[in-house]
Amino acid sequence: MSAVLKLLAGRLAISLLVLAGVSMLIFAIARVIPGDPARIALGPNATPEQVEKLRQELRLDQPIWLQYGHFLSDLSRGELGTSLYTNRPVTRDIAQFLPATLELILAAGILMICIGLPLGIVAAKNEGGFIDNLVRVVSLLGVSAPSFVWAVILMILFAFFLPLFPIAGRIGTQFDVPQITGFLFVDCLLTGKLDALADALWHVALPAFALALSGIGQAARLTRANMVETYRRPHIEMARSYGFPEWRIARKYAFRPSLIPSLTIIGLDFAAMLGNAFLVEAIFAWPGLSRYGVAVILRKDLNAIVGTVLIISAAFLIANLIVDLLIALINPRIRHGRDRS
Amino acid sequence: MTDNILDIQDLRLSFRSHGGVTEVLHGVSLSVAPEERVALVGESGSGKSVTARAVLGLLQSQRSAQITGRILFEGRDLASLSGANRRKLRGTKMSMIFQDPVSSLNPLFRIEDQFREVLRRSERSADMRRTREVAGKLLRDVSIDDPERVLASFPFQLSGGMNQRVMIAMALVNEPSLLIADEPGTALDVTVQDQTLKLMRKLADDRRAAVFFISHNLGVVREFSNRLYVIYQGRIVESGPTGSIFDDPRHPYTKALLAAVPRITRAGIPEIEESPEAFSAPCEIHETAGVAA
Repeated sequence: MSAVLKLLAGRLAISLLVLAGVSMLIFAIARVIPGDPARIALGPNATPEQVEKLRQELRLDQPIWLQYGHFLSDLSRGELGTSLYTNRPVTRDIAQFLPATLELILAAGILMICIGLPLGIVAAKNEGGFIDNLVRVVSLLGVSAPSFVWAVILMILFAFFLPLFPIAGRIGTQFDVPQITGFLFVDCLLTGKLDALADALWHVALPAFALALSGIGQAARLTRANMVETYRRPHIEMARSYGFPEWRIARKYAFRPSLIPSLTIIGLDFAAMLGNAFLVEAIFAWPGLSRYGVAVILRKDLNAIVGTVLIISAAFLIANLIVDLLIALINPRIRHGRDRS
Repeated sequence: MTDNILDIQDLRLSFRSHGGVTEVLHGVSLSVAPEERVALVGESGSGKSVTARAVLGLLQSQRSAQITGRILFEGRDLASLSGANRRKLRGTKMSMIFQDPVSSLNPLFRIEDQFREVLRRSERSADMRRTREVAGKLLRDVSIDDPERVLASFPFQLSGGMNQRVMIAMALVNEPSLLIADEPGTALDVTVQDQTLKLMRKLADDRRAAVFFISHNLGVVREFSNRLYVIYQGRIVESGPTGSIFDDPRHPYTKALLAAVPRITRAGIPEIEESPEAFSAPCEIHETAGVAA
């Protein structure tokens, strides 16, 4: 397992470097785009003196490298400054909005894995047959329309015409779940409110599905394509010549070697959803980080922009790290290096 | 005839494709007696590999393949068996050794895992300890001196020759009565191929297993087989004891095939007369005392 640890340490070091690079980049970009944050925050009726005072408070009058230095020293104390939009510390905003988005994305990711992979497996096992073609058409549909289109369609169909699901929000107003972790599912479990948990799950179903659809399609198509190719390899024929049961061949001999590319895509999709969830969050009135991120960008709320982007980048890196680790666990070539003995 | 291990009678095989139906075997009949080593020789595309796969039942699951004729294994018509009963024979009573040892083993599992999977075909409760015991002994039989290391390795950590020996050992785990070998070692270099063939021959002899051997290499066939079938474009064109065919080839195709063996003493590959019409001449059978061809 030491090879895995070494790999993990290497990736972690690279991730930190990337994060440092991203912080510089976003710090600079946020300040280079035109528009005076202080003027935007104070509105058209503020006097030049008021604007100048705020600029000083925000240290916008200092050179950019000094500003970055202040940012780093804040960061080392776990602070990201104050948001001009909410007038609260950015860290508090993120702590409030991030759990809602993570819950949504996690639900979407689980749907992606639990629907996308099996669809791909079933299609590959019936290559060229009716089920295969059906899966291919359905997954193409999923990939070809953006998630906000699916969000609207699903909402109209299953929340409006057929009121099977709630139309918006994270949980029904009748439930009062105390905030412990910020993660609604966890808080429901911690307080033992199972009816509230059920309601929260019921609320997340439609937005998560809308968000997951393109990922489901992608995972299904990729899994299918890789498995079809793996099925043509000699080790499948050898397994059949030994009379192993077909489902076992599908699982151990065809699916496992095909899983690696699918995992990579799912990992990337997972992280990309953090940014892409915005329109879905807007449509389903989901109080998440994506909506917050867009709101602060429109208001040129520097500290909040930098904080949000850093969180999204960190999520990307963590998702990739997890995927790399999973791939190393599946593929012995990575786990044991390429040493021939 | 019924005490033969394998009896193939008038096997016809065709594949359906967009272009129509293509028949690749036009009535192949052959037999393998207990403890006999029988070779099926022919050029690429002659139908030798599909014959082997039809015996194992690997083609029957393909939607495009149509098979007629009878395949009797130890006197039982394989077509009359249910899919599950047929599957029971594979890997237990008959097993196959493949051409390319490295890519035929599962790349993601250790050799010992793959041995256990094979062993469990006959011993459902076989654990890793039992697997190591059985596999270790077999690996020593195929001249692997450090079975523990090989068992703990992944296929990509072993050389091609090692993988080939592993595959031979694996094929013998459940003491099959018929070993099918599809050009074993063709993917390896000549000296390694020679070693593995000698090993295979010795092991089959020790275990009194019959071998049905598929090859395009006449030198290998002459060394290895007691009896020989020559196949050309889906038809058996000559059959008989190996020595007899090599001494007195009667069919025009067999003659051409023997003449085509490159000799080091003569420069390069000899010229072969193109006479496809003569190649479709009727089958020549070398009669022998004892075993019926």
